[in-house]
Amino acid sequence: MGPTVALAQAEREAGDSRSASPARVGDALVRGFLVACAVFVVLTTVALLGFLARTGIRGAAAVGVGALLTGDIWKPEAGVYGGLALIAGTFISAIAAVFIGAVPAVLASVWLTEFAPRSIRMGYRRVMEIASAVPSVVYGWLALVYLVPLMSGLAHAIRGHDAPVTGEGLASAGLLLGIMIAPTVLLLALDALSRVPGPLREASAAVGASPWQTAFHVSVPYAWRSILVAIFFGFARAAGETMAVQMVIGGARRLPTDLLFSPTTTISAQIVMDMQEARPGSTESDVLFSMALVLLLVSVAVVLVTRGLSRSKQGAR
Amino acid sequence: MKARSVHVSERAGSSREAALKSLLGAGALLFAAAYGLCLVYLVVRGGGKIASFTSYASPPTGIDNESAVRFVLAACVFGVLGWTAVVLAQMALSRWGRSGWMDVRAGRAVIGAAALLGGLFARDHLPRFLIALPSETHAGGGIGPELFNTIYFAVLSTAITLPVGVGAAVYLARFARSARFVGAVRTALDTLASLPSIVYGLFGFLIFVVSMKAGYSLFAGAFVLALLNLPLVVGIAEESLHAVPRELDEASLALGATRVQTTLRVTLPYAWPGILSALVLSIGRVFAESAPLIMTAGTTISRSNAYSLDPFRGGETLAVHLWYVNSVGLSPDRADVSAGTAAVLVVLVGMTNVLAARLAGFGGAEGSRTKKATR
Repeated sequence: MGPTVALAQAEREAGDSRSASPARVGDALVRGFLVACAVFVVLTTVALLGFLARTGIRGAAAVGVGALLTGDIWKPEAGVYGGLALIAGTFISAIAAVFIGAVPAVLASVWLTEFAPRSIRMGYRRVMEIASAVPSVVYGWLALVYLVPLMSGLAHAIRGHDAPVTGEGLASAGLLLGIMIAPTVLLLALDALSRVPGPLREASAAVGASPWQTAFHVSVPYAWRSILVAIFFGFARAAGETMAVQMVIGGARRLPTDLLFSPTTTISAQIVMDMQEARPGSTESDVLFSMALVLLLVSVAVVLVTRGLSRSKQGAR
Repeated sequence: MKARSVHVSERAGSSREAALKSLLGAGALLFAAAYGLCLVYLVVRGGGKIASFTSYASPPTGIDNESAVRFVLAACVFGVLGWTAVVLAQMALSRWGRSGWMDVRAGRAVIGAAALLGGLFARDHLPRFLIALPSETHAGGGIGPELFNTIYFAVLSTAITLPVGVGAAVYLARFARSARFVGAVRTALDTLASLPSIVYGLFGFLIFVVSMKAGYSLFAGAFVLALLNLPLVVGIAEESLHAVPRELDEASLALGATRVQTTLRVTLPYAWPGILSALVLSIGRVFAESAPLIMTAGTTISRSNAYSLDPFRGGETLAVHLWYVNSVGLSPDRADVSAGTAAVLVVLVGMTNVLAARLAGFGGAEGSRTKKATR
């Protein structure tokens, strides 16, 4: 904080020497603008959370929290709002995505930082950066055209030729989400591993550890919290993903009859589909906000967990 | 006593480790190759649609601003082609040790000339797909208005993100006084960063469509996207502001400049490439986002104002179009339309990523600005 104090002092002295010059007025305006920007950020966030919470609580009160969270039939046209199918769809597909996408991503990031030849690191990173920036609808379209037919064949191969199964469902959604979050998790894990201090690796090598041992007994444990943060981030992204999942999950508003291969829905997919028809202010619309509130609470929980992780890391050192 | 030298390969278990290591490496390479091939496939599959320049002049369809839009689009397409050619030529020349043959100014002239000539003479020969109106029921629909809306969204949302995001970053990095308020701003940014994009869409829907009864509008979508991008832009901008050496600020203050003057004339220019790269990344997210736009800007294209600059009309972007064509649309050639749209999106996103990486390379003490100043 030393330099800041010095700057503040220098500025105060400068201010004393030329208090009423026109430049001061401009300075005050600029300062005011900067503060206004910061205030805008806080106020908009508060407004966003406030509006959402107000509408969502109104919806939850109209239906009843218990019915909303545990009912398994979602039929807005009949006034029945059971969100269990939506919540289950969101969580199962996101957890599947973490196992399918995050594990290979973390392993690949370990290989890239510890063992890969220097010459390919940059190119590898670039490919993954573009892959993580590709619009989710593009992944969704690819999955719709290639993954869903493949899954349909697989489903019939496993469950029998004329079993009531389809390619649309949690299996496709989980696989697609895993493919989508993997580049993001990989990039975050790379950042985490690249922050491992070089001296640690050298010390490990000096006591006779092989590169493999250094990687998995020194670097990975050191970066473990940040890698966990990356995985949580991937989970949050998978849980919040909307359009791509909507394209492959089938859109049936009930619990899946077959865990892997039958159509169901997620919170965000249902919001974007039903919001078009719901009359604003009606229970039908308010309940969608309640479901969004569930999603929001999940992401806030993820923030708290990641903050806790990074804070205890600072505390430990 | 003489120490015997031990080679790593003599250690117990090293052959197993080597096998695991190559297994891991093969897996990681396969992993990246899958994504790389997927990207290449997307561009190649839709490439035919976006590279088929016509030999005949496409007749105008009589929509307002159409020729201006065609001019800008052709200028952009040929400008990018010129840029690619210049970069390739520079790489080739420097490999042969003749980099003096083409300096930066000559490169810029080539790019400018390509853009101008393309805009003037090739604007009516652009691929039909890029300038035609979309069609919900017939084959042969294009993505002209969607492309226009996508770029227009980028401009509109950057017009909000740039002042607010940079302002907040400068405040946090240089002018913050109260620790409690800074904590509040950071918590707000963390919260915004963690929210799923559908939540932003609901917020925009509630404010603009329901409360203000303004209907679907580009402005609502751009505002929501700007909010979505704020955490990213503030984060990177603050980081690049923190990377500015204190000595620079102190030298400026010692010369009698006020703190605001120092920030505007010294700190911000030094950190500018980093800030720009954040903005370019945020534009990439504008290209990619779809869910919040469906709820704030709608999914329709109206023929009468397809190329209108009015921000209070509704309109869909490329990403929304890709979803719409596959979920709602009935056109028989939707596979080709989707492929073309996806290829355009991948090219746009790839370009923003390359540009952001280049800009980020210009910043800081190793940056070209500093090199030029200390040469």
